Amino acid sequence: MENIILPNIPDLHKIDVYELHGGYKALRKALEMKPEEVTDEVKKSNLRGRGGACFPTGLKWTFMPKQTMKPKYLCVNGDESEPGTFKDRQIFEFNPHLLIEGTLIACYAMGIHTAYIYIRGEYGKWVKMMEKALADAYAKRYVGTQILGTGFSTEIVIHKGAGAYICGEESALMNSLEGERGYPRVKPPFPAQVGVWGCPTTINNVETISNVPHIINNGWEWYSKIGAPKHPGPILVGVSGHVNKPGVYEMPTGVPLLDIINKYAGGVIDGKSIKAVIPGGSSTPILRGDQLDGVCMDADSMKAAGSAVGTAGVIVMDEDTDLIQVLTRIAKFYYHESCGQCTPCREGTGWLWKIMKKFERSEARKEDIDLLLDIANNVEGNTICALGDAAAWPIQAMLRRFRDEFEKRVKPEIVRVETGAVA
Amino acid sequence: MAKITVDGQQYEVDPKLTVIQAAAQQGIEIPHFCWHPKLSVAGNCRMCLVEIEKMPKLAIACATQVADGMVVKTKSEKVINAREAVMEFLLINHPLDCPICDEAGECKLQDYSYKYSVGYSRFEHDKVHKPKRIELGPRVMLDVERCIMCSRCVRFSDEIAKQPVLTFTQRGDHVVLTTFPDTQLDNPYSMNVIELCPVGALTSRDFRFKSRVWEMSSTESVCNGCARGCNTNIWVRNNEVLRLTPRFNDDVNSYWMCDEGRLNTFKFVNSEKRLSGPFVKKNGALTRVGWDEAIAEAVSQLKTFKKSEMAGIGSAYATNEDNYVFQRLMKETIGTKNVDVVPHVKEGDEDDILIRADKTPNMLGATEVGVKPADGGLSLKGILQGIADGGIKALYVLEDDIASIPEIAAVLPNLQLLIVHSSVQNKTTEMADVVFSCSTYAEKHGTLTNFQGRVQRIRPAVSTIEQDRALDGFSMSRWDKFASRNDRWGRPNKRDARPSWRIASAVASALGAKTRYNTAEDVFQEMATRIPAYKGLSYLKVGSRGAMIQHSSKTVSSRPTVSV
Repeated sequence: MENIILPNIPDLHKIDVYELHGGYKALRKALEMKPEEVTDEVKKSNLRGRGGACFPTGLKWTFMPKQTMKPKYLCVNGDESEPGTFKDRQIFEFNPHLLIEGTLIACYAMGIHTAYIYIRGEYGKWVKMMEKALADAYAKRYVGTQILGTGFSTEIVIHKGAGAYICGEESALMNSLEGERGYPRVKPPFPAQVGVWGCPTTINNVETISNVPHIINNGWEWYSKIGAPKHPGPILVGVSGHVNKPGVYEMPTGVPLLDIINKYAGGVIDGKSIKAVIPGGSSTPILRGDQLDGVCMDADSMKAAGSAVGTAGVIVMDEDTDLIQVLTRIAKFYYHESCGQCTPCREGTGWLWKIMKKFERSEARKEDIDLLLDIANNVEGNTICALGDAAAWPIQAMLRRFRDEFEKRVKPEIVRVETGAVA
Repeated sequence: MAKITVDGQQYEVDPKLTVIQAAAQQGIEIPHFCWHPKLSVAGNCRMCLVEIEKMPKLAIACATQVADGMVVKTKSEKVINAREAVMEFLLINHPLDCPICDEAGECKLQDYSYKYSVGYSRFEHDKVHKPKRIELGPRVMLDVERCIMCSRCVRFSDEIAKQPVLTFTQRGDHVVLTTFPDTQLDNPYSMNVIELCPVGALTSRDFRFKSRVWEMSSTESVCNGCARGCNTNIWVRNNEVLRLTPRFNDDVNSYWMCDEGRLNTFKFVNSEKRLSGPFVKKNGALTRVGWDEAIAEAVSQLKTFKKSEMAGIGSAYATNEDNYVFQRLMKETIGTKNVDVVPHVKEGDEDDILIRADKTPNMLGATEVGVKPADGGLSLKGILQGIADGGIKALYVLEDDIASIPEIAAVLPNLQLLIVHSSVQNKTTEMADVVFSCSTYAEKHGTLTNFQGRVQRIRPAVSTIEQDRALDGFSMSRWDKFASRNDRWGRPNKRDARPSWRIASAVASALGAKTRYNTAEDVFQEMATRIPAYKGLSYLKVGSRGAMIQHSSKTVSSRPTVSV
């Protein structure tokens, strides 16, 4: 399959090049359809969100109220901050107009007249690139009032985050957008009822939205046949760690993890064996290197293997990797990024990290292994948003699959040996 | 109505309620820190996690709406484990400095530690350190280390006090409560965050380190700072009022009171200017005398004037009982028609939360019980004119420092006789011929009627020489009960003061009146039979939340402001 999200076309980020290769054709086509037909097309395509939860996109769109006096909003989530994940950045850089076109189609389908593209604060360079692309799209009347001479109008606003991982959580993103502190909101109400500015809102990931023009151009049947049937379409996989060719690779869903590592990413450096793989960004449960056979990059396969697709950020660790150090670093990340709003995550993430540091220094006690698991279990499922879960899962999985690594770091007990009387 | 099951028991509840509200209505307390009935739902403390059948995870009771057929478990193993986990998390970075914390004894975190925690911690690392002794505003002190980030204070400031100056900064367990740059927490209701705070993070700069809470007794009372009549508790240790706190009454003040009422309506009770015992002017100087002598002096002097030469000024600060007996003394025993009351209205000093422009707690009550001119009698304006003209020669004043008003002070020297009831030495007592030392609102039983027409009870919290805490049914602290004679607590500073109704009644008796009252309740019972607006009321009916009088349409706010 040829790349469709990130095709190998030089200067595709320029609007005339994009147009030359069929750009904004899907928008024209969509505007000739009824909005609900567009939604239906996306629904039938089985497109599932690429932001981590794999939620059916078309279904999400139908949650938006049709009869409402309030304005509706679309938020395109480009806060990409999960360690190991760097795919949306490629879209901002190499195919920004695909994202803009998808955004416009989504707005049309849901009757939205304002869309926000929320980009993480650290992506300064890519914010500028998106701003340039958006200005070009405005200049050509693809965005703004009476798009392409139709009665449909939509404004797109690019919003730069201020550097907090939590603002990628959809409700914290909305608070951040409103100028409030980046605290996740208690759900329900869900964004489709009460979202940005208290109005119905849909939040979709950058990559998710970038699939939409292709679905409209080629039809849902074509799309639904790409990759894994229940989780179809192209997927951007970011591979990092001990591989020869780290990078973002576009592929159909359902590619075996070992093929991703060996065929796409050029195999493990120096031909070493794989100790462990984190398949979907740092929060997804770690997999043992000897358990990778048959594990594929789609929701069902990953779930069966005891992990998740997440944001398809594959972190490969070779046989010499100190997993305790890896986990300590991951624990530190979630501790640093916990927003501090609700108790279990605010207090638990720091505690987990402090215990991990003991393991890192080989100063832990045997009981600390169970304590670690207990704290992780006490955080998981008891918080306002999924950050608590994201902090707990890597620890739970590591303890489940690499308990021996922890045991090795327990400080040896000083044992008093009865020596008996020696003359 | 929605049928729900809580811990195996079925209830019918309003479907608009959340689980925590529905449970509370049925008398089931689901433990919580951040939830408060009068604030928006924050859902951050996670203490109210409950198990709801058909829900995959535990749900927070504060943010989950009830639904027909819902089955809630608040005591299942899963719930108890989650609760213990939340308590453990809350305590790992908490300083656990209860022995030096003002909140100890009335601390939700401390109480819940006993009720819902395992009693030990598995945390053995360094705690996070945060700023302490932060002056959040002129009246509130912050200790961030004790804060559990429940955000009640933030929501109160935003939603109730309408002064959105509080916020959190930093993230994770480094979160810090603070004010926005160049702002401080100084709204007129700022001190309510102290009770809202479930821990000792926010404390009163006035009360800090004054007393452990269990050393004080707490007595239900009513604030005398304005016509709202906020329900309060008076906190007393060693016969000294140390603080006032608001007491919930949804019809009057909700859970709140203003800082002015809280800070500036009790200090006079402890003041060094308090009068102890009656005084009579001898050779131009006020001289301490016995009660009998003072009453005899007042009576003999009053007898030298014609009825039309005398006038009485009641008090919007005194109780209904005081005013009622006073107006009977003036109108029936002394026989003058010239009776009125001085209003104390600060135009513009009011808001749409609690604060009223009328700075007295009982203006409506005073007039309703008869402190107003009899037919053909002089009103306040006429009385003052009469004093200026020389027509009014004797004036009897109940609990009001009328000489602090310059226009009144200017005419008072014309009087030949000035009798005053006062609890403190003030400008009026300095000009008086006879001064009766009367009890403050904190030392007597009685009722006050607020601007709504709600009669509310006050009770003695501080004892006078005549009273004994144990014998007279005062609320008692541990110290009251257990202090020995050689303790400081065993020798409280008691003042020789009597309630005004008792003094007025004694004066009336000395003048030949037949009625005698033994208690304030006796007075109230007579009011209930004689005054139509009080018909059917009793102390029992008034209770701790008050009862409405059927008052004539004349309310305080419709009274013209007297400019004298």
